[in-house]
Order: sequence, then C-alpha cells, then structure tokens
Amino acid sequence: MKCHNVQKKLSAYQDRELELREQEQVTSHLLSCRTCREQYAELERVWQTLGELPEVQADPFFYQRLTKKMEEPPKRLFLPVFEGFFQRLRVPVYASILFIGILVGTYLGNFLTRDGLFRTNHVSHPEEMTDFISLRAFDPLPPGTLGDGYVRMVSYTGKEPR
Amino acid sequence: MDLLLPSEELMARIAEGDEDAFEILVNRHQTSVLNLIYRFIGDRTQAKDLAQEVFVRVWQAAKSYEPKAKFTTWIYKITTNLCLNEIKSASRRRWFLFHRSDEDSEKSIEETFSDGSPTAEDLLLSKERTRQISEALQSLPENQRMALILRRYDDLSYQEIAQIIGCSVSAVESLLVRAKRTLQEKLKNYEE
Repeated sequence: MKCHNVQKKLSAYQDRELELREQEQVTSHLLSCRTCREQYAELERVWQTLGELPEVQADPFFYQRLTKKMEEPPKRLFLPVFEGFFQRLRVPVYASILFIGILVGTYLGNFLTRDGLFRTNHVSHPEEMTDFISLRAFDPLPPGTLGDGYVRMVSYTGKEPR
Repeated sequence: MDLLLPSEELMARIAEGDEDAFEILVNRHQTSVLNLIYRFIGDRTQAKDLAQEVFVRVWQAAKSYEPKAKFTTWIYKITTNLCLNEIKSASRRRWFLFHRSDEDSEKSIEETFSDGSPTAEDLLLSKERTRQISEALQSLPENQRMALILRRYDDLSYQEIAQIIGCSVSAVESLLVRAKRTLQEKLKNYEE
C-alpha cells in the first residue's frame, strides 16, 4: 500500500472502521514508513488531547427538576378550547392577511396618486416653493445686498455695465 | 423494579405510564445526554435545560417508540435534533452565548476539582487547556462536531453515527477526516 492511500485511511484506521485486511495492511505500512507513522502519531496526540475535556457531573436533583418541569402546564397563547381551532387556522389566516395587505396597498397606491396627496397631474405647491423652483430665482438681486455684491464681483470684466 | 432491565424494556413500561421505569431510564442516561449537549453547545446551563427537554420528549414519545435500533441511537438522535435546533435559534444571540460559555467552562473546571486539591497553577493550566480544546471543538461545522463528539466521547461506530446524524457511513467517514484535520491544525500549538 502506498503512502497516499494509507494517509487517506488513517482516520478510519484509528477508529477501527477498516476491514480486517485493510487494517492489517495499514499496520504493516506504518511499521515500515516513518512519515506515515508520524502522521498517525499526530492524529493520536490530538485524540488524546480531546480526552482532556472535563465531563460535566450529573445533577443529583435532575430527575426531581425534570418531573417538576413536566408537571408545569405548558405555556398557552389561547384558551385550551380555542388552541386547536387557532392552530388549524394559522396558515389560512396568515395567507388572508397577506392578501388583504396587497389589496389595501394597491388601492391606497392608486387612490393617492390619482386623487390624493401624491397626484402628479395637478401639482400645487406653496408660493415660496414656486419662487424657488421657477426662473424667478434668477431675477436680479436687490442692489446693495450681499448677493448682489457677490454677483457683481464674479462677473466683473473691467467695463462699466450699460 | 430491576435496575438492570434493558432500556428498551424500560421504554415499554414507560409507555404504560410507569414512572419508576422512567426514573431508572433518566438516571441511566442523563450523564451521557448532558455531556453530549454540553460538548456540542459549550454552555453548561443550556445543556442542563436541553437535557431535560430530551427526557420530556422521551416520555412523550414512549407510546410510539419501536426498538428498531439501539436505545442510545434513538435518544442521541433526539438529542442531536434538539442541539441543531438550539444552534439555529442561538445564532441570533451568539454574542451573549459566547460570553456565557467562557464563564461556564470556568465553572465546569472548578467542579472537576471539587475536592480542592489542585494548586492555583494547576487550575489555571487546566482552565487554559479546556478553553483551547473547547474552542477548537466549537469551531467545527455542526455535523463534523457532532460526528466527532459521538465518536470520541461516546465511542459510537460509523454506522450508529450515520443513523443519528441522518447520512451515509461514507459521509460520516468524510466528516471525521475533515474534523480531525481541522483539530490537528487548531491544536497544533497545544502543549502537554
């Protein structure tokens, strides 16, 4: 058996999961091959290391706590009489809520864009907004203001304005 | 009642409502179930809660239980499913669990030296070793971790692990090869 094949089987060899013949072949290979032997030793070392993880001690009152827990009534969302009823209705109720949500959303969307707040054909804006978005924003600035001074400065060409 | 009755026989009695049989069964399997959960999840308090949940399910399922496989395979399958569900729901509160796990492993180490014999240095060294091993285990993907724990600590065969996890024997072999390789890498600097 070649090293490549042996190394693929080392894990199963360690777990004694190979067939007897294969197990013997790997054993004889390990006796003669130092590289594979070292790899196997490394695998064993990790296995031993895992054994150092401590075991949790059993709780002496485990059974008492368990029976107490089992005696507690299960947490219920509904009265027992209605529980089965609501359980059966869960899927159709969720589906109906989703369907109604889509219908209401569609209706509101159409209503608001056609007749309501967001209609687009008759847009009415406050006066300050129309001033801002219209060409009136580019009207000459009142003389003597800071804005007027700035515009005069950036547009200064050395000639007197007509 | 005979304390040496096989678990399958106890289950038949539990199905008839025999609480004594249930107590024997719980006492027989609580440590292995608790440790399987603790090693998988890394949180001792949660492990205790989940172990209780496992036995609640055993009681509830007693009437439908059919001894097709070994009882341990059946109870470990319940345990594994609960652990996987817990991992899924715990991913939302991972930060919280991470901190509790540290606290928990410290408690568990202190319990292993309950007679108070070790020196402070021994305790510190042991805590550090446990932390490294536990972190290496927790870093494995869920299926690899469960396969490795069942193999290493419960000494189950590949066939039994395959039944518990719900995969083929060759898949178990592959999971274990990858898990061991990862642990070799993670525990490379671990010193005796």
